[in-house]
Amino acid sequence: MKVDESKCLGCGRCRAYCTMGAISFTRDARGRVCAQVDQHECVDCGVCFRAEVCPGEALYEPKPEWPRSVRSTFSNPLVEHKETRIPGRGTEEMKTNDVTGRFKWGEAGMAVEMGRPGTGARFTDIEKVAMALSSLGDIHFEPKNPLTGLMADKNTGKMNPEVMDEKVLSAIIEMTVPLDRVQDVIGAVRKVAQELSTVCSFDLTCKVHPGDTVPAFDLARKAGVSPTINGKTNVGLGKPFFEEVKQ
Amino acid sequence: MSHTLHRRGTAENLKNDFVIFAMSAKGINEIDSNVKLRRFLEIVREFNPVNFGDMKTGNYFITSEETIIASAKDTSIVHGVFDNREAFIKALKAIKDADLGVSVIVSGLLDDTHECCRQAGINRHTCEASLGVWGKTERLPDEDILRVSTMCGHGMVPFSLVKKVIEDIKEGRRTINEAAQELAKPCQCGVFNPGRAAALLEEIMCLWGIRVA
Repeated sequence: MKVDESKCLGCGRCRAYCTMGAISFTRDARGRVCAQVDQHECVDCGVCFRAEVCPGEALYEPKPEWPRSVRSTFSNPLVEHKETRIPGRGTEEMKTNDVTGRFKWGEAGMAVEMGRPGTGARFTDIEKVAMALSSLGDIHFEPKNPLTGLMADKNTGKMNPEVMDEKVLSAIIEMTVPLDRVQDVIGAVRKVAQELSTVCSFDLTCKVHPGDTVPAFDLARKAGVSPTINGKTNVGLGKPFFEEVKQ
Repeated sequence: MSHTLHRRGTAENLKNDFVIFAMSAKGINEIDSNVKLRRFLEIVREFNPVNFGDMKTGNYFITSEETIIASAKDTSIVHGVFDNREAFIKALKAIKDADLGVSVIVSGLLDDTHECCRQAGINRHTCEASLGVWGKTERLPDEDILRVSTMCGHGMVPFSLVKKVIEDIKEGRRTINEAAQELAKPCQCGVFNPGRAAALLEEIMCLWGIRVA
């Protein structure tokens, strides 16, 4: 996001609408107060612009060039990723699991949402987590996830070097793992989290197994992590329904 | 994007927070699903949700219900939010009976949504929970702020805006309900629960000084 200094009235109304705290105020050569956006910290989420709080209509977003363009695709939910055709940051994950069969019995979906909540992440941190997870072996990064598409090497989790200095509001590393690897993934995230300069939110998905059980949640508890009391449930109304032979 | 997953709170302040949303699976049942998604929104609307929206179009507080419904596309994700358990169960049952064929997802306290599904005659298919926030958590604001801002999973409700509306309420520039509605606006999808936000703001108001650092 940028500020047209000739239109800015210096009123300060936009400041609270910046997700990254990147808007500050300074005086220009004539002593006029004017907003400025720290381009290194701004993630191009568009919240300040869409809030329509600027009386001078001074905020504007020029079409970004690569690699800066990754900021808005990961930060502004109105921008669709061309890879997924889904607005937002990840894939359909469990939301359409009743139709896609993405996560099956005996598997868990796990995701690490870098920069969430509200802190933002640079690709240097994203790469640290992706590489730590890759090193476990037999971790299958979700191929349709836009972040997977930015990996220079999907076997190591190494990111495209061109994006390393870019910052996004959040980005999701999504993977499918066999249930018997859930605790290993938790261990790897626990270890690499100590090296991060930002936060990440950790997701765990599991198909409801025969007997109305969710075994991945029990495995997380055994690893010393309690799943939250609230969460999401796909209620299985999609069609065609993905049929799976019970194990 | 698990945009309704990481809503922070306690069993008490999450108990009247239910999100229901629908989408098609790309490349499988997406063609002409916009008709089903519109019908989903129409059904949800019948049960008086406290918010309602489509990521592509916006929510209750920035555009009209008619525009949200009419603008649904095959690739839309459409949402409704309830703060009334009985209304939520009725909406869930009506959506089941409509047999739309798009995927339907509910968010809330897992045990309670399970019971709501049971009462609506629905079996759970897949569950997702949060394993919490990891990493440099000292960068996060107070839990009071997080409980409000995390109702928008895309991070469109800045921590600074929550602090700003607390100041506004303290200084008499907004009522608590006006503040909650202002916070709901940036959450494009319409999954922000303004009723819960108002209750949370009321609860914390006495704990915050006039100047919110």
